[in-house]
Amino acid sequence: MSVIIEIKDYSWQYMNTRQAALNDINVQVKEGMFVGIIGANGSGKTTLAYSLNGLIPGQYNGIKHGEVLIYGKEVEEYKSGELQKFTGMVFSDPEAQFTAMTVEDELVFGLENLGMSIPEIRERLEWVTELTGLETMLLKPPYELSGGQKQRVALAAVLAMTPKLLILDEPTTMLDPVSRRRVFEVLAKLKQEQNNTIIVIEHNLENLIPLADRMILLSDSRLILEDETQQFFQNMELISQEGIYPPGALQFFYELKKAGKISDTLPVTLPDASKQLKQLFD
Amino acid sequence: MSEQTTASEITADEIWEVQPGERRSVGVIHIVITALLIGIGFVVGAFGSISFPLGFGVNFFWTGIAVQQIGAVWFGGWGVLAGTIFPFFSNAIAGTPFYVSAAYIPANLVQAFLPAWVFRRFKLDPRLKSGRDYGILFLAMIVSSAFGALWSPLVVLKGFGLLTTDSLPLFIWGWFGGNVVAGLVFNFVLLKALSAVVIRTPAFVKRWWS
Amino acid sequence: MNKTLLGYVPTQSPIYAIHPFVKLFFLLIVSLFPMFVTAPEWNMLLMLVLILLMWISRVDMRTLKIYVPVAISMGSIIIISYILMSGTHPEYQLIARFAGIKVYWERVRDAIVVYFRILPMIFTMVFFLSTSRERDVIVAMRTIRLPFVVTYVFAMALRSAGMVLEDFQIVRQAEQARGFDSTGKSLAYKIRKYVNYMIPLFALSLRRSEEFTNALVARGYAFTGEASRVKRADYVLTHYSFKYFDAIFTAIISISFIALLFMRYGYDYFAIDQSILLNWLKNILM
Repeated sequence: MSVIIEIKDYSWQYMNTRQAALNDINVQVKEGMFVGIIGANGSGKTTLAYSLNGLIPGQYNGIKHGEVLIYGKEVEEYKSGELQKFTGMVFSDPEAQFTAMTVEDELVFGLENLGMSIPEIRERLEWVTELTGLETMLLKPPYELSGGQKQRVALAAVLAMTPKLLILDEPTTMLDPVSRRRVFEVLAKLKQEQNNTIIVIEHNLENLIPLADRMILLSDSRLILEDETQQFFQNMELISQEGIYPPGALQFFYELKKAGKISDTLPVTLPDASKQLKQLFD
Repeated sequence: MSEQTTASEITADEIWEVQPGERRSVGVIHIVITALLIGIGFVVGAFGSISFPLGFGVNFFWTGIAVQQIGAVWFGGWGVLAGTIFPFFSNAIAGTPFYVSAAYIPANLVQAFLPAWVFRRFKLDPRLKSGRDYGILFLAMIVSSAFGALWSPLVVLKGFGLLTTDSLPLFIWGWFGGNVVAGLVFNFVLLKALSAVVIRTPAFVKRWWS
Repeated sequence: MNKTLLGYVPTQSPIYAIHPFVKLFFLLIVSLFPMFVTAPEWNMLLMLVLILLMWISRVDMRTLKIYVPVAISMGSIIIISYILMSGTHPEYQLIARFAGIKVYWERVRDAIVVYFRILPMIFTMVFFLSTSRERDVIVAMRTIRLPFVVTYVFAMALRSAGMVLEDFQIVRQAEQARGFDSTGKSLAYKIRKYVNYMIPLFALSLRRSEEFTNALVARGYAFTGEASRVKRADYVLTHYSFKYFDAIFTAIISISFIALLFMRYGYDYFAIDQSILLNWLKNILM
């Protein structure tokens, strides 16, 4: 698997601010990986996400040090509209992403920006509406849908462009648990069927952990922990100090480990936790 | 690495001057801000047109003037564009005939353009720090509304045969007063309250288009 | 029901069979008709035709109620302008005098002519707004090949207007939840309150500008550069086809307009002197 994202000694400070939003970030992401980024509010997660699809420095004024390379090329070197052909971004507030009158127009907007023909658009539309379950909503105004439906539309609008790199910035913040799960089901499908590289910023780890290959922890503009998911969550003390609350099962086993009742690797998913609990009782 | 200044330390000249090495270009944000201003103006202008009508889109307290003039001060040519376009839609909703609304365009263009021009020409502080800022803005409001008041009732409404010569003063003063009074109520407050924030956004326009 | 710019129209309405371009064309051309017609009965006929068209289109006729105050205020302004502020004109025919105000036949006639010119123009606009969905307006604009950025700005402006209204409602409800009630307060107080609404509405819109921009850029939209010159497929137009009856309606509107001009300037039709209503009224008043 080739490295498609390479961030080297990267720092970013927004204009008219006293502190950098990101300091000395070094990250490599290989193609096809699913990466979760977590951290407290203000730790720099969104800034990092914006740096990956050219919004920074394209739309923001600030001071940049280091490099952000996507497919071997610095983001600033991409011409306007070029990077967006293979990176897609979903934001936390779906409402702020809707500018069209109908769901269909919303989904088609990005495809028209790519210069696709009508037959290609039609085919892509069919595919993405089936993937995200939006077939019956195409003629509805997106702002009249429920929160979960809105976020599915926002996701579909980006997926329709079939980006090789998909970045989601807190995509389920405004959703109820059922809608949240639906979004992650779509992501799971993508991971399985399309081999996209997916980067998700999330506070809710329940749905993120089973899908993530690697996790990144940001704190106060710095990257303080990065590892494969299983190894990542063995650092529970550090994670807890940062105000991150992993799933209940993981916390439960962490408490058991602290009390000296177990010495095994902490289980990060519910099936693993269930298995380990059974072993404990046996 | 350049020195950072807070919004309160920056001078009026610095607000309008493009600094050495500063890159400014027209972008998507300007299209967006134009659309948003048209949207706000549409709502606010329609409120004024429906609540305080004199007739034919002339109002004796037109709240849309704030969006028209303040939008142009902050966003230059994009604000002027929005300020020229939105009254067309707000008047339409309020029942002004299509071609009458279209004929008001020059009046709305001047009403939006003049305050934007005086701020850039005289390097006024949009945060209204001095009497000079208030004074010149006030003059710009007077002159631009006077133009609008002469153009619209005199040229448009008389030209369409909708008014008599005897009733012209009512409409001229109505247009003029409706804009100046509403401008006095809204413009200064909005500039004072929001300019410090706006000048730090990427949407703020120093020249005319970026 | 389908939401139009001015209310709702049932999905089964025949108006949806008409191509949006024809509706826009209708607005642009028929709005001109009253400019060339001074005889009020013809403009009244046009109003009736418009009302009939709204009824056929299954527009909720209660929409017209919104414009009753507009019609009344417009009528009042015309009366004030033409009759009460008519000045002194010895060349005109005096028909009444009260409280120092001279009422001339010519002014009464002109007031009627102007009023019945304005009303059908308003009705034409109302017909367009009450039968056109937001998407229809976009399609009409794209059909006449207006640049994409123009149609997109228009669409975003409509969306933004909706959001401003929602924000306004939220701010007002929040105030009411805190026990604020403007009933019985003075106009000056209400205006001051309105100023306080404007500030957060502007601030919210400024924040939205950043979010919208990010969303547009993230989906490959560019205003300048190569990406802005991409040939757009205009997928929305595939849902609308220009049928034979659209061509017929367009032809009818065009021919009617040409015929109107021909009769007006060639044969002096639709002029004041030809008006049966005005002649009858003159006979009554004089």
